Amino acid sequence: MSEKMLELKNVTIKFGGVTALSEVNFHVNEGEICALIGPNGAGKTTVFNVVTGVYPVTSGEILFQGQNLAGLKRHKVVKAGLARTFQNVRLFGDMTTLENVITASDVHKKSGVFGSLFGTPRARLEERESRERAHELLEFLGIDHRADQLAKNLPYGDQRRLEIARALGTEPKLLLLDEPAAGFNPAEKIDLANTIKKIRDRGYTVLLIEHDMSLIMRISDRVAVLDFGEKIADDLPSKVQNDPKVIEAYLGVPADAS
Amino acid sequence: MNFSVVTSQFWALCLQGVALGLIYSLISLGYTMVYGVLRLINFANSEVFMVGTFSILFIQVSVLGHAVNVDPIHGIQLLGALLLSLVGAMLVCALLAMLVELVAYRRLRAHGTNRLASLISAIGTSIFLSESFRIFTHSRPQTSPRLLEKWTFGEIAGANFRIDTVMAIVASIAIFFALDQFVNRSRLGAAIRAVSMSEENSRLMGINLNRVVTLTFAIGGLTTGAAAFFYTTIYENTQFNVGFNLGIAAFTAAVLGGIGNLRGAFYGGLALGLLEQFASAILGSQWKAVTVFLVLVLVLLIKPSGIFGEAVQQTRT
Amino acid sequence: MINIRDKGAEIWETWNRPKRVAFVLISIFFAGLLPFAADWGPTSFLNTPITSFQNVLVYPVGMFILMALGLNIVVGKSGLLDLGYVAFFAIGAYSQAILSTKFGWSTWEVLPVGIVIAMFSGMLLGLPALRLRGDYLAIITLGFGEIVRIIALNSKGTGGPNGVAGIPNPPAVFGFKFDLMHPEHYFWLVLGMILLVVWMIRRFTVRRPGRAWEAIRQDEDVAALMGVNTLVYKLWSFVIGAAVGGAAGVLYASKVMVISPDMFKFDVSVLILACVVFGGIGNIWGVILGAGILAYLPDRIRFISDARQVIFGLVLIIMMNLRPDGLLPRKKREKITEKSKK
Ligand SMILES: Nc1ncnc2c1ncn2[C@@H]1O[C@H](COP(=O)(O)OP(=O)(O)OP(=O)(O)O)[C@@H](O)[C@H]1O
Ligand SMILES: [Mg+2]
Repeated sequence: MSEKMLELKNVTIKFGGVTALSEVNFHVNEGEICALIGPNGAGKTTVFNVVTGVYPVTSGEILFQGQNLAGLKRHKVVKAGLARTFQNVRLFGDMTTLENVITASDVHKKSGVFGSLFGTPRARLEERESRERAHELLEFLGIDHRADQLAKNLPYGDQRRLEIARALGTEPKLLLLDEPAAGFNPAEKIDLANTIKKIRDRGYTVLLIEHDMSLIMRISDRVAVLDFGEKIADDLPSKVQNDPKVIEAYLGVPADAS
Repeated sequence: MNFSVVTSQFWALCLQGVALGLIYSLISLGYTMVYGVLRLINFANSEVFMVGTFSILFIQVSVLGHAVNVDPIHGIQLLGALLLSLVGAMLVCALLAMLVELVAYRRLRAHGTNRLASLISAIGTSIFLSESFRIFTHSRPQTSPRLLEKWTFGEIAGANFRIDTVMAIVASIAIFFALDQFVNRSRLGAAIRAVSMSEENSRLMGINLNRVVTLTFAIGGLTTGAAAFFYTTIYENTQFNVGFNLGIAAFTAAVLGGIGNLRGAFYGGLALGLLEQFASAILGSQWKAVTVFLVLVLVLLIKPSGIFGEAVQQTRT
Repeated sequence: MINIRDKGAEIWETWNRPKRVAFVLISIFFAGLLPFAADWGPTSFLNTPITSFQNVLVYPVGMFILMALGLNIVVGKSGLLDLGYVAFFAIGAYSQAILSTKFGWSTWEVLPVGIVIAMFSGMLLGLPALRLRGDYLAIITLGFGEIVRIIALNSKGTGGPNGVAGIPNPPAVFGFKFDLMHPEHYFWLVLGMILLVVWMIRRFTVRRPGRAWEAIRQDEDVAALMGVNTLVYKLWSFVIGAAVGGAAGVLYASKVMVISPDMFKFDVSVLILACVVFGGIGNIWGVILGAGILAYLPDRIRFISDARQVIFGLVLIIMMNLRPDGLLPRKKREKITEKSKK
């Protein structure tokens, strides 16, 4: 099986003097949950940013299902099947929970301005379908009872869940989750881990940034480790956990020096 | 279209272009400095300029008691009158700019309301000022007294080195030099640069943001006031809407040079002044504003960071 | 302070369809009676001292409401600051002036063409300008507004500074004559257009374009990352706004019969912006109320009319600082939609 869904080839990105990613080679296989870890400032979020077209790469290329993403407009990237959440929640606060998800699901709609104005049958149908699907997604994440509340009024945990629901609203093939469990208590984390597994079982591929090792051990099929913009490990969770280089990166001292 | 003027009056156009361009540069500081720290267009700066020109009229006519058709004065009396007008206009403009910041921006900034609100509030201030002056002056243009006899140093290749033009050029360059030194050498200047780099970091470093913002508005006001003085000495009249076109031109100069960039403003103003002189010589002066606008659009489309680069940090996601 | 708009919407939502339809029809009926309000004892205080009340209702009141609704699509819905809205008004007006005096077209023939020309110019401006940061957009649109006026002022085809005179009134429809004697007919015409625009905006708001605009207004970067084609939707809001401005221009020209470049100065853009801001950015009822008040008062209270612009400037400053959401703010409450009710 393991078809490469996303592949970064020698990706380098510089911000002025800072090299946020240097010569990163990395891929995500179809159908897996891949975790991306690393200390603060390692460049994890930057990987999401270059993949989703927020920043152009300085050099290297990014392939999604074999297609080069270079120069693709951000909404086209989404249409191609990539969707993300944000580390610091960035919902449309003045929209309802439901509208947040529907807005994302609009990306695949065929009807546009004219259809909406004149209420063509297709536009009506699409509106109805996306509404139903949005409810389903909210149900799936356990926040459908909040459907009509403004996103900014949701409790923090539900805002994080809504981020995931909104990303799923775009019907992605690959879902990018940036620290979805940040600020969760252990029970919530277990709950989230199960949700992520279920998302995978529904046929989505997941790339996950996370700091909590136990959560990663529980759900991920593979773990890649970044440190100072370089990939220092990429293996099964159990192997990565004992990799001296990884331990060094996290502790800041060589593993055998202690 | 008339291309022959370009060759016949080349140097004259250059000289006028430089003088006008430096006036633009001075006004554009009012935009560029503020944009550097606040990331907002200081829409009311054009009206600060307008008020500056009227303050010179006020000083010369009401304070010093010169009639509009007075004979030129000389010696120490002239020097005193000019200095008083210049310093007066600079102070008036600086105070007004600080007031504008207080009224139009301060509260909105404290509340963290969106940029749209700040922009609209600034435009409101601008309208309020220009319309008040329209009502006071009954929409009539006002002539300023010619205190300075317009003698000329001589003519080189058709360019007439008149005293007012020369004075504007020399003094503007001096002002720019002083300001450049201030921003790059002094502690307050360092604070301004720090805030331009990153508002968040500078707050962490213990910089009093409000003070820096007020300071930048004041500096912008000072230079805009100086521009008002040179403008009034050269053109000898003003009107309630004088700020409108000059404001757009100065803003264009700021963008041309790279917004937030002090030296960029200098060169941007020069470039625009020259371009405008030549364009209006060739196309006719009624198309001057159109030329400026097209330059603005082109720069923004082709090189939005301006010729000399923005001194403004990228936004992040 | 209570949110009047939300209160109203709450009541509205408890009504069933026939009740709503009845309410709308009755409201329209009363709005249609407005031109006669000044003749009726209890409301005769509405009378305006200089221009007749009926004419004031058409211009400025009706026209301002129409244009404010159009600008609201741009500023309120998608959060783009357009400071050159007058340009589209001017383009509509000059289309009517030139096509009718030179080619003999009637207002009804010019109307769709004028709208299309305005939309096209909106696209021409928007395509480059909408790629830029928001505050650059403001200054570019401001420049565009000026340019349109300067071109009108300096071109032969537009009559230069004198403008165009002798623009015909619209031909009668169904026996309703449009001439100096029948300002109420103009009012009904404008009212009809306002209703059309309201209907259009309401349609958009609850569907894909409305969501896209709302997303762009709140966070353009995230909108793009959630698959909204931001440039296209910004362009649409610009173009639709331009269409409304153009339509208003066509009507205006054929009502006043003489137009000249100085009718299309920057002031007009500011004025319309003030209407939007005063009433409540993004909320149609607020915008209608705001435009109605700001357009009417200077004609009713004479000393205001000279200081009109000063007051608009003040309105902008005060509203932004003290009540940035306007008189009737946009939706703040949690919506109860029929379909999502459990
Ligand atoms: N737009 C930018 N401009 C300048 N530097 C940037 C930019 N974006 C990221 N960086 C830098 O790149 C490096 C990597 O940042 P990134 O946000 O990817 O880290 P991260 O691994 O997600 O860390 P965290 O765990 O804290 O989220 C940091 O040093 C950061 O300062
Ligand atoms: Mg991160």
